[in-house]
Amino acid sequence: MEVDREDGRSQNQLRPLACSRNILHRAHGSASWSQGDTKVLAAVYGPKAGTKKNENPEKACIEVIWKPKTGQIGKPEKEYEMILKRTLESICILTVNPNTTTSIIVQVVNDDGALLPSAINAACMALVDAGIPMKHLAVAICCCVAKSGYVILDPTKLEEQKMKAFAYLVFPNSVRSVLPEGSLRVEGEPIENGIITSVTHGIMSVADYFYCLERGRAASVKLSDFLRRNLQQQSTDSSKAG
Amino acid sequence: MEGRLANSWRLTVNDKNFIKTALLSEIRIDGRKPFEYRKISIKFGREDGSSEVQLGQTRVMGMVTAQLVQPYRDRPKEGILSIFTEFSPMADPSFEPGRPGELAVELGRIIDRGLRESRAVDTESLCILASKFVWAIRIDLHILDNGGNLVDAANIAALAALLTFRRPECSLGGEDGQEVIVHPPEIREPLPLTVHHLPIAISFGFFSNESILVIDPTHNEEAVMGGRMTTTVNANGDICAIQKSGGEGVPQRVIMQCLQLATSKAASITKQIKDAVEVVNTERALRKVKRHPTSTGVDVREKQN
Repeated sequence: MEVDREDGRSQNQLRPLACSRNILHRAHGSASWSQGDTKVLAAVYGPKAGTKKNENPEKACIEVIWKPKTGQIGKPEKEYEMILKRTLESICILTVNPNTTTSIIVQVVNDDGALLPSAINAACMALVDAGIPMKHLAVAICCCVAKSGYVILDPTKLEEQKMKAFAYLVFPNSVRSVLPEGSLRVEGEPIENGIITSVTHGIMSVADYFYCLERGRAASVKLSDFLRRNLQQQSTDSSKAG
Repeated sequence: MEGRLANSWRLTVNDKNFIKTALLSEIRIDGRKPFEYRKISIKFGREDGSSEVQLGQTRVMGMVTAQLVQPYRDRPKEGILSIFTEFSPMADPSFEPGRPGELAVELGRIIDRGLRESRAVDTESLCILASKFVWAIRIDLHILDNGGNLVDAANIAALAALLTFRRPECSLGGEDGQEVIVHPPEIREPLPLTVHHLPIAISFGFFSNESILVIDPTHNEEAVMGGRMTTTVNANGDICAIQKSGGEGVPQRVIMQCLQLATSKAASITKQIKDAVEVVNTERALRKVKRHPTSTGVDVREKQN
């Protein structure tokens, strides 16, 4: 079924991606991620000594600060901070530096739909830039379900407002291993089939949700390839000393 | 949290002495001469009124938004201009989230005085209906990277954002002419703000040995310097504001030297800002041929009885 999207994309086409690392000088790691017109800047400071009062001092702790483009910090920003914190806690190796805090600061530069997935991708790249130990990367994508039942990927803000429901999905990155048989498996399924985070808004049927997951997973392979190429290119940059 | 003290950045004694000794021979650690400014690059975002300025390693983002509100009672025919500075924790490990510290408040006040009290932005043209509806312009400045001299960079970001901001056009309508109809950008072209002149802030650092003076200090120099002064001047040679809060005592002739230097720098920076804004405006005009509704229009009907 041909769907007409305003910017001429097909149902499963993502917007042009752009990512650059190491753009800030004071931060230990920084990255800027843009999907079409949505642009997010993430910076990482860490590990710093000490953990907050309610956190477990036997593990490393992650702190997320979300800065909106304009206006006061309210409940939606606190929710984004919580989702980001939980997602990043599950991909970082928390036992390596116990009793430390890593702060991730996310600044929204422009919001044109799929803001939270862009922020998760930017934060992940910033963590790589800072050299924080991680198990694997997190790749985030947004899928929407329209009233007529078709599913589109990576909506713009106007499209998001017209949709019946949308879901933010975060997958681990796809694995490219020398021994495909030896790749990590959890209960018989390869690890890249897992879902790290899923946040839905609106009503969608179970079948629609599974369809979204399938489309999201396929898109996450493309995103993983983009991330891999990007990281390999910039790995020859000079290190940040002092 | 006591751990935070251990995380604050401090310059070592050796580094401090190196900077001071080098300044005696008029050498600065990044290779500049004492009266040389760092490279300024001004970029703009997709939306009207968003700018990003990079001054050497310092990076500041400015956003301008507008809202219809009731004016202050003692100024019924004037619009409202407010500046919010966000010292984002990503700029410096010592910036904490939450309430702005004294540096943030001082920076906000310096820029505020430069824009508001020198009448750079015309607030009377922001009045739609006296005592009822005026435009409130809000400037948000986000400090992204602290490489020193935040005031100057933030000031340029604020000016660049103000010059490229467009507010929706509105007209009076309704039965008694007391209703304000705000036209969405697709129907009527949004209007630019009236900016009479551009007040540019130029900061100086004073060092204790033999009253050495540098312009545009980096954050290493800021940790060493004994006093600082920010002068806000415009290209016409008018002094809009001077801020020297405490620090080293400085002889009068040094202050006069600073003012003269500032006026000459202001002219070149003003030209740079105007050129950058010119380029963006032509780009936007060319894009308007097929205007993509990226901004959702505000449809506000406010009735007052």
